[in-house]
Amino acid sequence: MFKFLFKKERQVQELIYRYLDNLKKAQEHFEKAMDCYFDFGLGENCDFLIAQTHKFESRADDIRNDIIEMMYSKVLIPESRGDIFRLLESIDLIPNHFEAILFMIQGQKIKVPDFIVPDLREFMRVSLECCDLVIRQVEAYFKKTEDIKALVATIDSHESRCDHMEREIVSKIFDADMDPFQKMQLKELVGRMGEIADQADRVSRSVYIINIKRRV
Amino acid sequence: MTSLLGGIFLGWSLGANDAANVFGTAVSSRMIKFWTAAILASSFVLAGALLGGQSGIETLKGLTRFTSNQAIIASIAAACAVTIMTLFGLPVSTSQAVVGAILGVGILNRQLNFSGLGKVVVCWVGTPVGGMVLAIIVYKLLAAIANSMNLNIFQSDILLRLCLIIAGSYGAYALGANNVANVTAVFVGAGMLSASAAVLIGGLSIGLGILTFSKKVMETVGQKLVRLDPFSALAVVLAQAITVHIYALVGVPVSTSQAVIGAVLGVGIIKGVNTIQRRTLVNIFLAWFLTPFVASVFALSLDFVTHLRYIPG
Repeated sequence: MFKFLFKKERQVQELIYRYLDNLKKAQEHFEKAMDCYFDFGLGENCDFLIAQTHKFESRADDIRNDIIEMMYSKVLIPESRGDIFRLLESIDLIPNHFEAILFMIQGQKIKVPDFIVPDLREFMRVSLECCDLVIRQVEAYFKKTEDIKALVATIDSHESRCDHMEREIVSKIFDADMDPFQKMQLKELVGRMGEIADQADRVSRSVYIINIKRRV
Repeated sequence: MTSLLGGIFLGWSLGANDAANVFGTAVSSRMIKFWTAAILASSFVLAGALLGGQSGIETLKGLTRFTSNQAIIASIAAACAVTIMTLFGLPVSTSQAVVGAILGVGILNRQLNFSGLGKVVVCWVGTPVGGMVLAIIVYKLLAAIANSMNLNIFQSDILLRLCLIIAGSYGAYALGANNVANVTAVFVGAGMLSASAAVLIGGLSIGLGILTFSKKVMETVGQKLVRLDPFSALAVVLAQAITVHIYALVGVPVSTSQAVIGAVLGVGIIKGVNTIQRRTLVNIFLAWFLTPFVASVFALSLDFVTHLRYIPG
């Protein structure tokens, strides 16, 4: 009935959904780039996918800035503005990690030995599943479509699994007969990949806290 | 018309100060633009004064008999008392100042309606207490409704803003209905105005105060409430509005500031936090006694001064 009065709120809401769609696209291209890298190593195709991931990461930043600018033009109550602002800042670290991992591989010309490729693929799959779940959770928070608490528990268990996998992969790397410099390089790469699930877990907890906070 | 200036000034200062109690939260937190709040508040104050202001006028004019001169003295004395108490930073109530001034005039006339005065004093004590009790009830009721609605952040924000606008408008209506008597009742008592003209002039002067001078007060005084979360602020504004409206129906002008303080205390009890400093409570008690006393002393002094005659020696 009063929809005409709250046009800006609707615009912010639509921008948040656009941001999440963009995040999904960044994630898709990151996944494709990593698959391409594991399958064929660095090359033209991989560079193109890295550039695409970077493009969606930059677009995510632009949309986030638009949301913040619109929110602070007297949209929403101050407490909600703060909550959404902090949530977006936290989510935005996920595509930043995608980009950082790809730039690290591209810039440092990292070569992954074949014996850890299956482990890294599985590690990446579980990490990206965490991202899928966290995007679903954020959407559920804004649309009130499903139980947020149940998703927090699932993301938490995925994140624990990722931590475990990270430790195992690092251990395998240091057990292998390799150049110490390459070991350190791979350790840094695995650590960066582990940040994806860690950040997804942080976002998930933030959503849960914001949701609880609003109950009166 | 010139003789009404004291009352109009009192109404103007009342509007400038008390609008913050109903729209301060929404304006200082930038949920509503000042001009939206000011136009809504002044319109609803006028509506409240016209539709519900007459019973308060009946109560106040019944406290004693007035001459035209005494009516002017009472309104000026009340305005002076409000100014002095404000300078001392006490939570001053225009209602108490006006009653104090009428009391002063009543002492001079040697005629006071003690049953009417008793009703007024009981209501003064009942204002913060009523605000507190109603805040507890309103908070619990609104919380139960809000928690059962399963709204997302945008829907709940929109609903909260709408509720704040509605509660603020209702608060302004209650303010007009309750406090218009403070502004013009003495002139009705003196036969200078009819009751309907009194509510119109009183309502307009309060509305003028809101439109011309309430911005700064809304932005600063409102921040005292913003320290509460927006939901609690809504409960406070609504509880205050209901309290003041009840007293408007009873026909006793009361202090909106004291109703707000009571309501904030009530929300603090529910949330288990100390929302009001002990000093504020002490100040309320002080104001209960000091405001009417100061106003009656002013009324007596002004009457004395106006009766001084120069007798050549």
